[in-house]
Amino acid sequence: MAGDGVEVAKLEEKELKLCEDQVSHLALDIGGSLIKMVYFSSSSSCSTDDQENGFIREGTNTSSGNLEYRVLSGRLHFLKFETSKISECIEFISSKRLQHYGDQGDEAPAGDKHIVKATGGGAFKFSDLFKEKLGIILDKVDEMSSLVAGANFLLKAVHHEAFTYMDGVKDYVQIDHKDLYPYLLVNVGSGVSMIKVDGDNEFERVSGTSVGGGTFWGLGKLLTKCKSFDELLELSHQGNNRVIDMLVGDIYGGTGYSKIGLTSTTIASSFGKAVSQNKELEDYRTEDVARSLLRMISNNIGQIAYLNALRFGLKRIFFGGFFIRGHEYTMDTISVAVHFWSNGEAKALFLHHEGFLGALGAFMSYEKQGCTDIAHQFMEEHSSVAKSPFCTSDRLESSTHTDVKDNGCIECRVQVRN
Amino acid sequence: MDNLTEDHQERNIGIDGHINIGNIGGEVNHNFDTEKTASSTALAREELGEKDMSPVAGNSMHRSSSRPQLDLSGAAIQGNFEEKDPTILLPNQSDDISHLALDIGGSLIKLVYFSRHENQPVNDRRRKIIKARLGITNSNRMSYPILGGRLHFVKFETAKINECLDFIYSKQLHHSGMDSRHWQSESPNTGNTIIKATGGGAYKFADLFKERLGISIEKEDEMNCLVAGANFLLKAIRHEAFTHKEGQKEFVQIDSNDLFPYLLVNIGSGVSMIKVDGDGIYQRVSGTNVGGGTYWGLGKLLTKCKSFDELLELSQRGDNRTIDMLVGDIYGGMDYSKIGLSASTIASSFGKAISENKELEDYRPEDISLSLLRMISYNIGQISYLNALRFGLKRIFFGGFFIRGHAYTMDTISFAVQFWSKGQAQAMFLRHEGFLGALGAFMSYEKHGLDDLMVHQLVERFPMGAPYIGGNVHGPPLGDLNEKISWMEKFVQKGTEITAPVPMTPPGTTGLGGFEVPSSKGDTLRPDASKLNVGVLHLVPSLEVFPLLADPKTYEPNTIDLSDHGELEYWFTVLSEHMPDLVDKAVASEGGTEDAKRRGDAFARAFSAHLARLMEEPAAYGKLGLANLLELREECLREFHFLDAYRSIKQRENEASLAVLPDLLMEIDSMDEETRLLTLIEGVLAANIFDWGSRACVDLYHKGTIIEIYRMSRNKMQRPWGVDDFDIFKERMLGSAGKKPRQYKRALLFVDNSGADVVLGMLPLAREFLRRGTEVVLVANSLPALNDVTAMELPDIVAEAAKHCDVLRGAAEAGGLLVDAMINIQDSPTRERSISVPLMVVENGCGSPCIDLRQVSSELAAAAKDADLIILEGMGRALHTNYNAKFKCDALKLAMVKNQRLAAKLINGNIYDCVCRFEPAS
Repeated sequence: MAGDGVEVAKLEEKELKLCEDQVSHLALDIGGSLIKMVYFSSSSSCSTDDQENGFIREGTNTSSGNLEYRVLSGRLHFLKFETSKISECIEFISSKRLQHYGDQGDEAPAGDKHIVKATGGGAFKFSDLFKEKLGIILDKVDEMSSLVAGANFLLKAVHHEAFTYMDGVKDYVQIDHKDLYPYLLVNVGSGVSMIKVDGDNEFERVSGTSVGGGTFWGLGKLLTKCKSFDELLELSHQGNNRVIDMLVGDIYGGTGYSKIGLTSTTIASSFGKAVSQNKELEDYRTEDVARSLLRMISNNIGQIAYLNALRFGLKRIFFGGFFIRGHEYTMDTISVAVHFWSNGEAKALFLHHEGFLGALGAFMSYEKQGCTDIAHQFMEEHSSVAKSPFCTSDRLESSTHTDVKDNGCIECRVQVRN
Repeated sequence: MDNLTEDHQERNIGIDGHINIGNIGGEVNHNFDTEKTASSTALAREELGEKDMSPVAGNSMHRSSSRPQLDLSGAAIQGNFEEKDPTILLPNQSDDISHLALDIGGSLIKLVYFSRHENQPVNDRRRKIIKARLGITNSNRMSYPILGGRLHFVKFETAKINECLDFIYSKQLHHSGMDSRHWQSESPNTGNTIIKATGGGAYKFADLFKERLGISIEKEDEMNCLVAGANFLLKAIRHEAFTHKEGQKEFVQIDSNDLFPYLLVNIGSGVSMIKVDGDGIYQRVSGTNVGGGTYWGLGKLLTKCKSFDELLELSQRGDNRTIDMLVGDIYGGMDYSKIGLSASTIASSFGKAISENKELEDYRPEDISLSLLRMISYNIGQISYLNALRFGLKRIFFGGFFIRGHAYTMDTISFAVQFWSKGQAQAMFLRHEGFLGALGAFMSYEKHGLDDLMVHQLVERFPMGAPYIGGNVHGPPLGDLNEKISWMEKFVQKGTEITAPVPMTPPGTTGLGGFEVPSSKGDTLRPDASKLNVGVLHLVPSLEVFPLLADPKTYEPNTIDLSDHGELEYWFTVLSEHMPDLVDKAVASEGGTEDAKRRGDAFARAFSAHLARLMEEPAAYGKLGLANLLELREECLREFHFLDAYRSIKQRENEASLAVLPDLLMEIDSMDEETRLLTLIEGVLAANIFDWGSRACVDLYHKGTIIEIYRMSRNKMQRPWGVDDFDIFKERMLGSAGKKPRQYKRALLFVDNSGADVVLGMLPLAREFLRRGTEVVLVANSLPALNDVTAMELPDIVAEAAKHCDVLRGAAEAGGLLVDAMINIQDSPTRERSISVPLMVVENGCGSPCIDLRQVSSELAAAAKDADLIILEGMGRALHTNYNAKFKCDALKLAMVKNQRLAAKLINGNIYDCVCRFEPAS
């Protein structure tokens, strides 16, 4: 699991050295399994002059002279911690003094309270803990709103954010943000939420399933004794699900049931072979078990997502959430499921920043508090400056590997009201 | 005696559509010579275990009290208690045709077979007359394309396939299939027999069947079978489907004209979702690989359970919150109400296992099983709903081995469908869900004639074995009635060592405690209490819907719904308390012999077991009204060969009543018209007090003679009665202000009890109608039920009454009820008939103290065609059933309420209050 304290610290130190750090604007997404964090660090050394100039100009234009803005260039950082190790998260915030961003004079929060935007169920659950340990008041942002805001931002602002993944081939999809809506956003966290998005902040949670990342990890942990999600994913990579799944061919004696369009390799019943075999759990390879589990859950999510997209006539289904984490087999299975059930008419799309939709959305919500127009300007800037370099760390490169470093950053500019 | 014998023969045909011999344990009548061939069919009494409709009142009324013995020397008695209906195979019973079909699944083998019997020529005198009277022609009879018979549902574990093979062999079912002619020509083993089968095992075990039984298995497409099976059940069985919410089953009546389209979700190892648009028209639209196999497979790995049932059983004691991550766990106990998620909603199945530092061994297998069950059921419910939505399907039916009547599974699926559809869609389940495939394979035989079967032609019976099973019973094979009784006796002896999950019967009843399946094997499946029982379907093609029902679709016979547990409990107590008296009567009716006593005890145990089963699971036998419960008791009596427990009492009371009838008629005739009508109605109500079905009345009997009680009762009739429409009725009959009303053309009088009730109450009333020129049809039971008068007994009673009354004699002659009248009709019908309007007797087609007017005899249906008045008399037919029934013609409902609870509930009154409810045609 990422968020491993040492690694994170190291990475951040590196970044701190690069940029004369002016940390500000922390947002959290505290889920059932993971805490996702997005924060902004400004540093003039990180940006080039021409971009900065361009941005200022543009920013001035769009704000119509209402107010004056100070533009900060810097980076958006993405980090995550396990929710069960929340103390690591708190230490990290404390060590970086992230909670004090408000003291830096960028804006003036009411009184001396440090207000941090947070979403996810943990924003409620751990509210007291943050108050006690860091003096932070978590300002709860609705989870769905955050997810949608995050996804909308990414899809509009980041050039190569969405991609399809089929048979090991990754295809970037350029999405015309004028033709973005409506779409189905499937956030695969511990559980799965399916949200129909019709526009900025126009959305409805239309469905969901309890069979999600938490199920994969939870059941997987019980079945394989794996210590981490990533270990389990790694295992699944080497497994063969046919050992344990009952295939159509197993029932029909090697032939398919072509009449109803089922080939012999179609899974008829996940884990169904365990029924008839006289084997104990220990007799199965953990790799095979992990693989079966992954296929079962991915396939199921893909199917339910497709059925919901169909229901509302949605062309695009974006999958996000930490469960996916760029794992090729997961994406492949989801893609196959969508492809299978839609007879090739629908495609599953994935997002590079899949795990951070909620945190990003929470981050964007500062705007609404009247403190800045960050989010708005942020998007404007990126959508208008296509060549904007963003530091995605090793995400792009690593997404074809099983283990993805989730911690990365996007280089950007933030406009702050003076 | 000859005539009676013929009656006996005929009765069985008419009611059941096939010949039953009521005399397996009784007599073989040697007067049958002329019909040797036909009657030998009658001996092919296949199912000793479920004697329906077979006993014959007319016959038994006159036969000697010592029971003639059936010579069974040539018979091979075989059977297996698994099937709860042991077979008796008699030699030369060759026209007993049956069909067998199989569904061989991974865990269970489901067997559906049909036994039917050739119809017989009609030769009953009364019936001939009625047919002539009512214009029922023989061509009418020919319009019944199918013969009566029975559809049986049996299950075996696939692992014990040998038991299944033995069963088929013992029942000689392997000689049927598509090639029954070989069986008839007594060269059964030609090796050509083809049996339809479906399910994966149809492939796997084909060789075994060939080798052991010489059967060739013809594989039928699985989807085809599922759909055909579901369509048949949904059309043919009135309350096949039910919803299941929070542990409550509610049966749903589905209009077979409005059945399609629907979504059929079959949950086997995997899940298939099939959109059904009509018979044979369907499409597999979806499915999921997360199904029963996943539950069992994953469950086995996680809990080390040895069987599916063990795993399911574990789940019942589980708490999924220990392992599932709930919304509340994420939101710190709060709901996420904005999107409609309560704190207890599962956010992530097994999600809690992530954060807790526990190994598999640290979790209770119970919790794991439940969590798994919820995950899979919920997921199936959700995907099903999404598919139903996609195609705009209103109804989703769930079937397949995964469900197996398990309450929690059904609840979870229902919840999912309810939740996601926001209450717009409903999950429904099928009572015969396990048999869809087998039934479908059965339907794939050509020309079995079941395709056009109508719902009103089916009667489901629950024989003795029913209380113990949802289909699986293990125990020693039973041969005949004697072994069956022994089994019941042994059962009670073992009672102490067997854990009893069912409630104890109240003290002071027959003393029978709880029951459990006697385990001959340690590893037998433990019955799940919520599992529903599947009875034997009796196909009775001669039954019809009563044509005068205002709206047969909305007609509900039962006034009291036993799904109300308090109501069920009450009747459970009433029936239990009444049992010792009933057993005494029954035993006495059979001569009080040791044999009769043994049978009486066995009856009491069996019926107690039925009651206990119903207390445990009120929906066990489907939608159950009081009428069904009372009929079950009669069926149970017949099963133990008590053909007419009240025979001698009825006889005695008829005689006593007939003796005082002339005096009563004189008294009535001396009155003016208005007083007379009131007196007659009072008389019906007063005479209705003679009812052996009412405990309160039974106590009264010891206090005086019939006429004393009748007079006392009539004198106490203070108007207004509990329900008193007499004045309206009087106006309709007599008119007002000198205006003479049109007289009724034909009145159907549904009679109730023997003795005073019919003789002093209904006959005088019938006589009044006859005097006014109204034809009268007395409608009586086909089979004995308590002391109710039967259609077989009525002609004798009328004949006796006619001796003292010209009106009755003329009418009875015109109606062909008197022997010499029959001759007259045949000689010069026109002249005779012109003298008097006829008095006729028809049977109603049932053997219960109540009546379900959706299933009546064809002769009653025919008699109803010209009728413009219906009079329902007595609690059973006018209150317990049909109190709320609406008719196309005028209806008068007359009864004395002999039950305090019913009086309070129905008319807000007291015991002995009277109901005189007159409803003009609606």
